[in-house]
Amino acid sequence: MGELAVCQQGGCLRTLLGSCLGVAFYDRRLKLAGLAHVVLPHTEGPADLPGKYANTAIPELLRQMRQLAKGESLRPIAKLAGGANMFNSSGSVATIGEQNIAAVERLLEEQRIPVVARHLGGEQGRRIFLDSATGQLTVEIAGLDPTVL
Amino acid sequence: MLNSTQLLKLGDLFRAGAEQATLALSRWLDRPARITIERVEQLSLHEATDVLGESEEPIAACVMELRGELVGQLILAFDDASGLGLADLLLAQPLGTAHEWGEIERSAAQETANIVGCAYLNALSRLAGGQGRELLPDPPRLVRDYPQALLQFSLMNQASTSDVVFLTETRFHIDGSPVNWNLLLIPDTPSVGHLREWLPGETPHP
Repeated sequence: MGELAVCQQGGCLRTLLGSCLGVAFYDRRLKLAGLAHVVLPHTEGPADLPGKYANTAIPELLRQMRQLAKGESLRPIAKLAGGANMFNSSGSVATIGEQNIAAVERLLEEQRIPVVARHLGGEQGRRIFLDSATGQLTVEIAGLDPTVL
Repeated sequence: MLNSTQLLKLGDLFRAGAEQATLALSRWLDRPARITIERVEQLSLHEATDVLGESEEPIAACVMELRGELVGQLILAFDDASGLGLADLLLAQPLGTAHEWGEIERSAAQETANIVGCAYLNALSRLAGGQGRELLPDPPRLVRDYPQALLQFSLMNQASTSDVVFLTETRFHIDGSPVNWNLLLIPDTPSVGHLREWLPGETPHP
């Protein structure tokens, strides 16, 4: 929760999502993948967990991917999954998923990173796997067949 | 944030609540049952999302939304085998008869959560600060999902203000043997402050 990671050439990144948003980046040419588990849309100050907030997670993910790219230019695409309202709750938590999605989409637009796939909303959690060899993002929901994005 | 003394005092409060819930569960199951407080703690987000185990297999959970002076969730969670075993117990049928979450099995789990949860909350309400507190649980709703995903959603309110979250964890014994059930109380951020104010010697926040 609130963490992020990058990997390259064959490694796999995974996380579990409730109302949180999984932001997956992939550079097809470099076979470079990054995944952030965004909990909240925004922080004003420095974050001990940069992956926790959309506005710190995306710059940090790009920074770590550039480090792995070793001077090669980075051309990531994005895939998004998560943002469920799990207990069909009507409280303040109910809209956090939507706020996370809006914040991430806006930040990606500013960075000119195209969002090529989305698997968002609903009332169930998701287990996701990002394969750095192919860029495929596999989304699993309990009781349903996996979806590959 | 709660200090170690406040956590100890809250532990005493929740243990007293668990005793009342034990009586209610024993009557409901018509056999000896025991509910014990496993921990009353503040954990990092990473630790907290693993309190139902690190397995990534879906579990069943009866979720009661809490309103009133304590807002948050009370969750009775079990793996499928333990939850379906509960239905067998209540229906007086051999263990292993129930094998999927049909209407009767869901009803058995939800009614158990209702009885245990309400006994626990009623006791907390009576014991807290020497006066009755208004704790209003919604009826339980059974969900099947990944444990970490369930916890993320419940912890979201606290996570929005802190990287450290408060929760209480409870274990169960039936007929003297441990069962893989877990009762979690996860208040929202203002309610953590309310819990602190319920303790003897603690003053309300202005």
